[in-house]
Amino acid sequence: MSEYVTLTINGAKVRAPRGTSVLDAALDYGICIPHLCHMQGVIPTGVCRLCIVEVIEKGRSKVTTSCTLEAEEGMVILAHTDKILKARKNIAEMLVAEAPNSRAIQDIALKCGVKDVRYPFRNKDCVLCGRCVRACTEIWRSRSLGFVGRGEQRHVALPFDERPEFCKRCNACIDLCPMTITPCDGPMKKGEEYFCGKCESQLSMSEDFVDSCVWCRLGEGFDVTGRHAGRKQEDKR
Amino acid sequence: MRTIACMEDLEKLAEQKRKENRGYSRTVTLCAGTGCCASGCLSVIKALREELERLKLKEKIKIRATGCHGFCEQGPLMVIEPGNIFYCRIKPEDIPEIVAETLQKDRLIERLMYTDPSSGRKIACEAEIPFYKAQDRTVLGQNKLVDPCAVGDYIANGGYSALVKVLTSMKPEEVIDEIKRSGLRGRGGGGFPAGRQWEYCRQAEGEPKYVICNADEGDPGAYMDRSVLEGNPHVVIEGMLIGAFAIGAKHGFIYVRNEYPLAVEHSKIAVEQAGKLGLLGTNILGTDFSFDIKIARGGGAFVCGESTALMASLEGMVGEPRPKDIHTTDKGFKDLPTNLNNVETWANVPFIINKGSSWFASKGTSGSKGTKIFALTGQIRNTGLVEISMGTTLREIIYDIGGGSATGKKIKAVQTGGPSGGCLPEELFDLPVDFEALAEAGSMVGSGGMVVMDEDTCMVDVARYFLEFLLDESCGKCVPCRIGLSRMLEIIKDITEGRGTEEKLELLKDTAETVSVASLCALGKTAPNPVLSTIKYFRSEYEAHIKKKQCPAGVCRELIHYSIDRDKCTGCGVCLTACPHEAITGEKGKVHRIEDDKCRKCGICGEACKFGAIKLS
Ligand SMILES: Cc1cc2nc3c(=O)[nH]c(=O)nc-3n(C[C@H](O)[C@H](O)[C@H](O)COP(=O)(O)O)c2cc1C
Ligand code: SF4
Ligand code: SF4
Ligand code: FES
Repeated sequence: MSEYVTLTINGAKVRAPRGTSVLDAALDYGICIPHLCHMQGVIPTGVCRLCIVEVIEKGRSKVTTSCTLEAEEGMVILAHTDKILKARKNIAEMLVAEAPNSRAIQDIALKCGVKDVRYPFRNKDCVLCGRCVRACTEIWRSRSLGFVGRGEQRHVALPFDERPEFCKRCNACIDLCPMTITPCDGPMKKGEEYFCGKCESQLSMSEDFVDSCVWCRLGEGFDVTGRHAGRKQEDKR
Repeated sequence: MRTIACMEDLEKLAEQKRKENRGYSRTVTLCAGTGCCASGCLSVIKALREELERLKLKEKIKIRATGCHGFCEQGPLMVIEPGNIFYCRIKPEDIPEIVAETLQKDRLIERLMYTDPSSGRKIACEAEIPFYKAQDRTVLGQNKLVDPCAVGDYIANGGYSALVKVLTSMKPEEVIDEIKRSGLRGRGGGGFPAGRQWEYCRQAEGEPKYVICNADEGDPGAYMDRSVLEGNPHVVIEGMLIGAFAIGAKHGFIYVRNEYPLAVEHSKIAVEQAGKLGLLGTNILGTDFSFDIKIARGGGAFVCGESTALMASLEGMVGEPRPKDIHTTDKGFKDLPTNLNNVETWANVPFIINKGSSWFASKGTSGSKGTKIFALTGQIRNTGLVEISMGTTLREIIYDIGGGSATGKKIKAVQTGGPSGGCLPEELFDLPVDFEALAEAGSMVGSGGMVVMDEDTCMVDVARYFLEFLLDESCGKCVPCRIGLSRMLEIIKDITEGRGTEEKLELLKDTAETVSVASLCALGKTAPNPVLSTIKYFRSEYEAHIKKKQCPAGVCRELIHYSIDRDKCTGCGVCLTACPHEAITGEKGKVHRIEDDKCRKCGICGEACKFGAIKLS
């Protein structure tokens, strides 16, 4: 078996090491697929659903998340069809309505084409992307954080609501959390939330400049220090 | 009991059992299924036992307490053979008469016979009853022939002969081909072709392989899997054995919902019995095929019925779905090739092997073969379990089998496929039960729920109800399902409470589409069906709620308004005493009045008034 596979993403022939996810293959090539829960070096869970794409198999199209899909020889991927763009925009709109106090999420929404937010804002402190939980469990091999509850009750919790003995104080949970980057004008008060829509601080370069899309960096690590998941990505570059 | 080593052994055992049964002059079969137990069948069975004991008839008359017969509405049920005499709604007090008259003197008791409501005619034979006549009870029909705890009954009715046939004369590939040719598709919801799935699992790399029977059945109101597993566990086990042989699996699980203790017990007993007969364990029938089955209890959540969540739960982890980019037939339970099928899917397998794939494929439509069990509920006269040949129209099920409306009011819609099925209007009742036809119409065959609704149902409220259930049962892992459903519920509540706007309806539709396109598992993907189908077929009801702030069916509390008709009110004061919220004022003999701000819209006054003076608007 060859060590590389070649697949088609949005019409472009993309070569990627075997075992790479379609999302990583696309990002490495320079095709921007928005993503939030995905991190380098951590098992993908496919929960934010921003990175959805259409896979064409035997003439039929199936929607799946590109972060959980392993690139295979001859695979045909359409990442930006109207159907995908519409759903992705709506997901981003839901996310920003849920957590307007994250600049990362505001930027994601902007990038996904959200113009106005039609849902009432909820102003939560967590979007349940699971980055903290997975970094804690998988990168740092500590199990200080976990998910508790089902459905709307789901939340991130510490065992017995206390920082446990075995917490390594690595700060990964905070470094990787999209909620830690507040909007430029500071946190929004309840009832006064709005969709920024103008701020391009994180998006100084556009999707058209394939190689230097800041977007991908944004998706990978809200990791200011670069000590955690971002690390591996730097190595590869 | 001796172990079975070949076809002759099995036939010998079957013949011996049949001979035993011939020793009885009569067999009384009593349904001890879920519905009948609720209506008191256990005391009826006890009374019958005592009566036969008292009259020393125990040797002559056999009592068989079986799984569900399906006609739960009329329970407790009794069938007397020979004669196919059907008695319904039996009470313990009826027993002496049944024994003295019917069992001893062959005289029918008219009072206990079934009355056909459309003609008023009394019907003596089970087979003549319209409810049964229009059905094709391939799988369920065996329930009344076997005592679920007596493997002998199952064998006497041809049980395990399919397994012996497969093990002694077929190659695994031939079994798979036979199932493929039959066109059997999954009965648990997805409708995936079973033969193809088995083949994938057979070809997958990794050892050992597993087969699982999904008996989680979390849909509210559904009990077909329960009835099969409780009533005839051996047919499921035989199906799994055949599947395991075809796939090359070594171990099996029956994953049973925790709320089904009887199903757990019966399947445990059945597994033990099959083990003693040498039909489970190592070197089955002297071949090198070995297979065992463990019973696992479900995690309790609806979402645990989803295949990947079920496997996670079996592994002892939280029952949450995972993305299925890698199929469970490649990496399922413990990351090993696993084939999961529903109870009813497994139960069909022995019939296909015995009667042939062409027999199975002769029933149904071009894409949907065989029979399917539905749980018929709602405002329908004959509630119960019905098994019909695929391709039967909804109208036949609702009117011929179901007997039409229970309330006398016009039937307006039917929801098929469980909580995330769509609601189809009366105009579409000629649609056949077919995976593709129902999906195209915005609903699904699903696991086989069928809820009939009459004109007093508000379709917006129905959509709200199912949405609430599904949001409650969502695992909350992925964004579209967790946030999307909660936004949808927010909007639909706005609509039912009078805050709806056109824009919100559009947003509801947009959100619904996103949830169905982008959710991680089938719970999310199908959850918008009730909303989308009601918007599609009952848009005028949404518009009435939004534009006129009215609920045409008079269900949505915030939008209805009770008042007293001046011309009809006699001033009797009954409503005044009945109203628990003290919202009614008036003097004896004079017209009464409802104070709007106090009225909580419970409708009790309307039920109390004998003059029909309470108006709903
Ligand atoms: C939320 C959810 C709940 C489910 N519950 C059940 C269930 O209770 N029983 C069942 O057989 N299948 C259930 N399914 C379907 C299973 O995932 C799976 O498709 C099925 O068991 C496969 O068997 P089949 O091919 O024989 O139908 C459920 C699916 C979802 C998404
Ligand atoms: S705390 Fe932050 S990183 Fe953790 S799940 Fe919530 S949003 Fe994601
Ligand atoms: S669709 Fe719903 S139930 Fe399925 S994984 Fe997502 S949140 Fe969980
Ligand atoms: S689902 Fe793929 S990045 Fe979140």
